[in-house]
Amino acid sequence: MRIFVNQERCEGHGQCVAAAAEVFAFDDDGLTVVLQDPVNPAAEGAARAAVRRCPVDALHIEEQG
Amino acid sequence: MTQSSIQSPTPVFDGDLFTDDVLADPYATYAMLRELGPVVWLAAHDTFVVTRYREARTVLASPDLFCSGRGVALNDACNQQTAGRSLIATDGDLHSRLRKILAHNITPRAIRHLETQIQTQADALISDLVARRSFDAVEDLAKSLPLSIVPDLVGWPADGRDNLLQWAGATFNFLGPLNDRALDAVPDVVAMMAFAAEMAAGGRLMPGSVGAGVVDAAANGELPPDRVAALIVGYLAPSLDTTISAMGSALWLAATHPEQWELLRRQPELIPNAFNEVVRLESPIRIFSRVATNPTSLGGASLAEGARIAVLYGSANRDPLQFPDPDSFTIDRANAGEHLGFGHGVHSCAGQGLARMETHALLSAMATSVARIEIAGPALRATNNLINGWERLPVRVVPGN
Repeated sequence: MRIFVNQERCEGHGQCVAAAAEVFAFDDDGLTVVLQDPVNPAAEGAARAAVRRCPVDALHIEEQG
Repeated sequence: MTQSSIQSPTPVFDGDLFTDDVLADPYATYAMLRELGPVVWLAAHDTFVVTRYREARTVLASPDLFCSGRGVALNDACNQQTAGRSLIATDGDLHSRLRKILAHNITPRAIRHLETQIQTQADALISDLVARRSFDAVEDLAKSLPLSIVPDLVGWPADGRDNLLQWAGATFNFLGPLNDRALDAVPDVVAMMAFAAEMAAGGRLMPGSVGAGVVDAAANGELPPDRVAALIVGYLAPSLDTTISAMGSALWLAATHPEQWELLRRQPELIPNAFNEVVRLESPIRIFSRVATNPTSLGGASLAEGARIAVLYGSANRDPLQFPDPDSFTIDRANAGEHLGFGHGVHSCAGQGLARMETHALLSAMATSVARIEIAGPALRATNNLINGWERLPVRVVPGN
């Protein structure tokens, strides 16, 4: 599973970082970066919850075969 | 005709969702609406309404199909006035452009420099109130921080602040159905727009403020000058009443759930989640609407192109299909952060970072100095068409480390 950040939409509300700090972090500009690509299987649940919490729909998931 | 070819009709509710009684305690009515169906025809208000979480999220996450550009209010007068002008009533590229101009000044990273100042103000305010022991949680606490931060941030001149809360309340009343509350609001809505227009034209907003940034953007040709006043009002009104509502509700919930307050004191790292839980349970904005841009179906209802469909945030956020035991206040609720209280998607509240910063600061100051909060007299719900919250909330605090 891979997660992509739409940098046009991300406003840095940080709900993803709060929900899954092992997967998401802020860069120096205060926007979101994905730390795990692909996401570690153990962190997938937390990562999915984090994606659901993005207030501006800036995160999307690509499942891998 | 076979059974399967019979379309079950969309459930209809013909009551008024905006009577004083329903506004003061809407949740039993919302539960009844959710039971009727995920999408219900509100005959009294001439609109469909989304009552459940999944369908509400679908509407908010599909701005091309459920547009905002024909207004998001529940009455035609307000929609005609605001459509294509205020940020919340635009779509597509225009909306993205305006949102960038407005939001980039108030994103969490843009306001990071305010964090220390806001925490210092919150600490001083709470220290004063704890020394007083008894105070009004709305007048003395919830209103204080937003009123000392937002007008400065927007650059609103000192001589135009006396009417701000009255004007903001009117702006929200005017977004509801065209009832007496909306009609009575018109003079204040007009006065606020006139004042904002004066600000926009006259260079009277404080230099370096986010409001002055919008005026500058218009001067640089980044946005049409006739939009400036509406955009500035769009900063002010939503940054005040909504945060005041949420902070008042937080105090009410903390006072009436002492075990949750205890938990918050033991685990202050729960404050961000606790604030999400407050916004879920007592969603500050009651309702906004969209218009279907194509014929579609949602939650079993067929919507024609042009049909207006409203999202009832306070109902979606108490949908038991999404939030188990939805009426309980549970500050460590696992999915509290999935609430729609700030909306969702491209129109999601642009000022939520500031709202979080202010409320986290207040809760954090209280968690370290207040052992218990008690309701100390008759509390009174506010009855604004759009804003859910408290008008008066007398409390007494018991200090404690």
